[in-house]
Amino acid sequence: MNQLERLFKELTEQKLRNQTRRHFLMDCVSKVGGLAMAPLLFGCEPGAAKNPIGMNLSARDLNPLSPLPPPFAPKAKSIIYLHMAGAPSQLELFDYKPELIKYDGKPCPESLLEGRQFAFIRGVPNILGPQANFAQHGQSGAWVSDYLPHFSTVVDEVSFLKAVHTDQFNHGPAQLFMQTGSPRLGRPSIGSWVTYGLGTENQNLPGFVVLTSGGKTPDAGKSVWGSGFLPSVYQGVQCRSKGDPVLYLQDPDGMTRDLKKSVIQAINSSNEESFKDFGDPETLARINQYEMAYRMQIEVPEVMNINDEPADIQELYGTKPGEESFANNCLLARKLVEKGVRFVQLYDWGWDTHGTSKEGSIDSGLRHKCQEIDRPVTALLLDLKQRGLLEETLVVWGGEFGRTPMQENREGKVQGWKGRDHHGDAFTMWMAGGGIKKGASYGVTDDFGFAGLEERVSVHDIHASILHLMGFDHEQFTYNFQGRPFRLTDVEGELIHSILA
Amino acid sequence: MDFLFPLFGRFHPLFVHLPIGILFFAVLLVFLSGKEKTSFLPVIPVAFLCGAFFALLSGISGFLQYRHEGYTWETIQIHLILGWSTVAVAIWLYISFRKTTEVTRILKAQSGGLFLLLMLTGHLGGNITRGDDYLFEVLPPGLQSFLGIEIEASKPLQLPTENWEEIEFYTGAIQPILNHNCISCHNPKNLKGELDLTSSEGLLKGGESGEILFNGNPEKSGLFARLVLPKEDEEHMPPKEKRQPRKEEIELIKAWIESGASVEKSLGSAQVPISLISAFFVKEETPFYPPTDTKSIAIDSLSALRKKGFFAENISIDSPLLRISCINFPDFQDEDWNKLISFSDNIAYLDLSGTQVTDAIIDSVSSLKNLTVLKINDADIEGGSLVKLKNAQNLKLLYLNSTAVTLDHLKLLDGHLNLIKIFVYKTSVSTNPDDKLSFELETGDFLLPKLATDTIVY
Repeated sequence: MNQLERLFKELTEQKLRNQTRRHFLMDCVSKVGGLAMAPLLFGCEPGAAKNPIGMNLSARDLNPLSPLPPPFAPKAKSIIYLHMAGAPSQLELFDYKPELIKYDGKPCPESLLEGRQFAFIRGVPNILGPQANFAQHGQSGAWVSDYLPHFSTVVDEVSFLKAVHTDQFNHGPAQLFMQTGSPRLGRPSIGSWVTYGLGTENQNLPGFVVLTSGGKTPDAGKSVWGSGFLPSVYQGVQCRSKGDPVLYLQDPDGMTRDLKKSVIQAINSSNEESFKDFGDPETLARINQYEMAYRMQIEVPEVMNINDEPADIQELYGTKPGEESFANNCLLARKLVEKGVRFVQLYDWGWDTHGTSKEGSIDSGLRHKCQEIDRPVTALLLDLKQRGLLEETLVVWGGEFGRTPMQENREGKVQGWKGRDHHGDAFTMWMAGGGIKKGASYGVTDDFGFAGLEERVSVHDIHASILHLMGFDHEQFTYNFQGRPFRLTDVEGELIHSILA
Repeated sequence: MDFLFPLFGRFHPLFVHLPIGILFFAVLLVFLSGKEKTSFLPVIPVAFLCGAFFALLSGISGFLQYRHEGYTWETIQIHLILGWSTVAVAIWLYISFRKTTEVTRILKAQSGGLFLLLMLTGHLGGNITRGDDYLFEVLPPGLQSFLGIEIEASKPLQLPTENWEEIEFYTGAIQPILNHNCISCHNPKNLKGELDLTSSEGLLKGGESGEILFNGNPEKSGLFARLVLPKEDEEHMPPKEKRQPRKEEIELIKAWIESGASVEKSLGSAQVPISLISAFFVKEETPFYPPTDTKSIAIDSLSALRKKGFFAENISIDSPLLRISCINFPDFQDEDWNKLISFSDNIAYLDLSGTQVTDAIIDSVSSLKNLTVLKINDADIEGGSLVKLKNAQNLKLLYLNSTAVTLDHLKLLDGHLNLIKIFVYKTSVSTNPDDKLSFELETGDFLLPKLATDTIVY
């Protein structure tokens, strides 16, 4: 008897030995009972015969990232979403309020505070005038402060939303709301919805890539690019801009690509067995992710390497090769979009300017943050424009909420630095690119910049418009979960026609 | 087995035609029946029985459809009551005709009644599925108003971009807005709040709560003030469940009242700013991709194309046009064109960037009649045959970044019917303000200046 036969014999014996009376009884209950139940449960459903485990699996389930056509001809085929985590102050950047100067240092009128709750402001705070110098720019005459000198040269490419409002005033929930349409955990992010609806264009890259900068990930954690109740294959793939873009993607020494292939094939076939046994769709997601990771090995190192970009481009963006920087991420975003990624989500942390420290202040920290993004954002718009990608790429810029016209008085004390508290009644976002008007401004706030007076836009409205530009009717784009269809916009959302070209 | 009920319900539209025909025939027999030889009396009960049976089936299926298909009681109540009445009367007539030896006048009258019942039920049933205005819709407008049919919301206001100043403010702008938003409830035949908004007389007269126009004072004028009340307010108009007027429409009404609510003034003489008007300009939305009657590609052929390495997808679900990209097919060569040739009529967006194609490919793609976007960035293109793209008449965007094309080659495309823009970033092309071309050239090479503020440490 040779070695192999001996092993097989041992395996069979071991299997028999493991099959105890308990197993037999348990199998009787679960499997014989299951046999009896099966026709009752699935017998009448069409398609039940197609697969052995009685689940209705569509081609989409088996190949979840394959491309799908959108319901309507889209204006944009990719999105770059620049999220300034921490919430930048609209009053220092875009929403020019000369009236505030007059009231600077004076107590805030009671009427603004009545029945209101703020994250940190207590009692009656003082008004804080704009800490920036504003001027009108471009043919559109858009107001932009001297915090963003480069950006102010491209305002004619952009549509401003000046009276966006949210009902959340803490970072985590507000970020979740902005990215998933709900301040509570469990909903898919915009990028997941888009990838679910359209699949991925470049089969060697994920459809939804996330890049972070500013030293930290958003307060709400990875759920802001999570897939919620959608299969997890649609969640955002976070890539690092420093070091290996994706950890453990490079093969270690001695591992050839063929060997890697056979490893993945072995793992996947074992996963397929497991899927046949349990029918958990998450197993399918795992199989797909292994395959994607294998294919990504070819494309990702090339796409994620900004060193090959010519010097003039590096200079345009102000990249810092080898470091984690927003500029690097902007350049990567363009490269990814060029390579057919549907949704590139950038998070830049550090915009929470309460005035409790120099870094977190309106007059110093915010200037520093603006300096970090001003050139890269402008470069991104120009670079997309010169390559003709701006025609088919939607760029969205914004935070999770805005900031108060009042100076923060945490614990009733005046802070050492100038700062503003969280505020969701009115803040500014902008969009540019595919399907967006050039040089438009929508939304009017009151003289204090406290609340929107006209042309207010909700987070749902923004989501509805984003989906519209990607070719979806936000009211029809649903996923059935827990017995009801879910939408990104829940039961709200209206298109912002005034900024749609 | 739960599906049986809704399934049976769905046969309602089939069943209903049987009692209509059979009972109609039965009634016909009643009236045609003469004495002796021409008497149809022997067959009349059978006809009524048959009709009653199918009326019963219709009644049951109709009820099941109401229960399972989300019809409200309000919409179907009369139809349902009349339907079951038809069943009852038909059975009653069956019994009566079996007993009788003669077609009496009373029986004739009852049969006539059944006929009316039948027609009315049928008509109401038709209204439920086809809509109340199914029959009236096709009548000429004059006849419609003569019959007093409520004209459901006319078209929204549209103004021409030129000479709009000469349009009369009231007749040309305000009345159309009212027609679109208000008069379905405020017209002479449906005087909600005793208010008629179909004419200037009605407007000036006001409604049950008095005048609605106070010249020059929109806030006091009910015509404007109610529009801007919060939707939840009882006084808000139109009622919150109805379609709400556009913001621009409300603004124009406000401007009209401010200008004195005159019936004579024109938009120009009332000095209405163009900002209030521009929202009503006729927008000619030309779709980006050309309209086409090309046949859709079967899903199998599309999958086969994908297996060959292409990204291929319909522009949208309903569109036969395709977006094809070689993003995962960098080895694509001119000869590979034959893989795409059977999709010629469908290709609207073609991305051959970064492939091995040469100028010869331009010959091939220039025959694509629906080609709208063509990308050949980063390829060995010199541009000698670019002029052939004039044949691709629907071409709007042409991408030739990082190629060897020259301005002279591009100039040959001058006069192309639809071409909007050519992207020639990273080429030798530079624009000269003297060159007037029918399309834009994007040469890029943007630079951002070094500013002193870039290096300040905050």
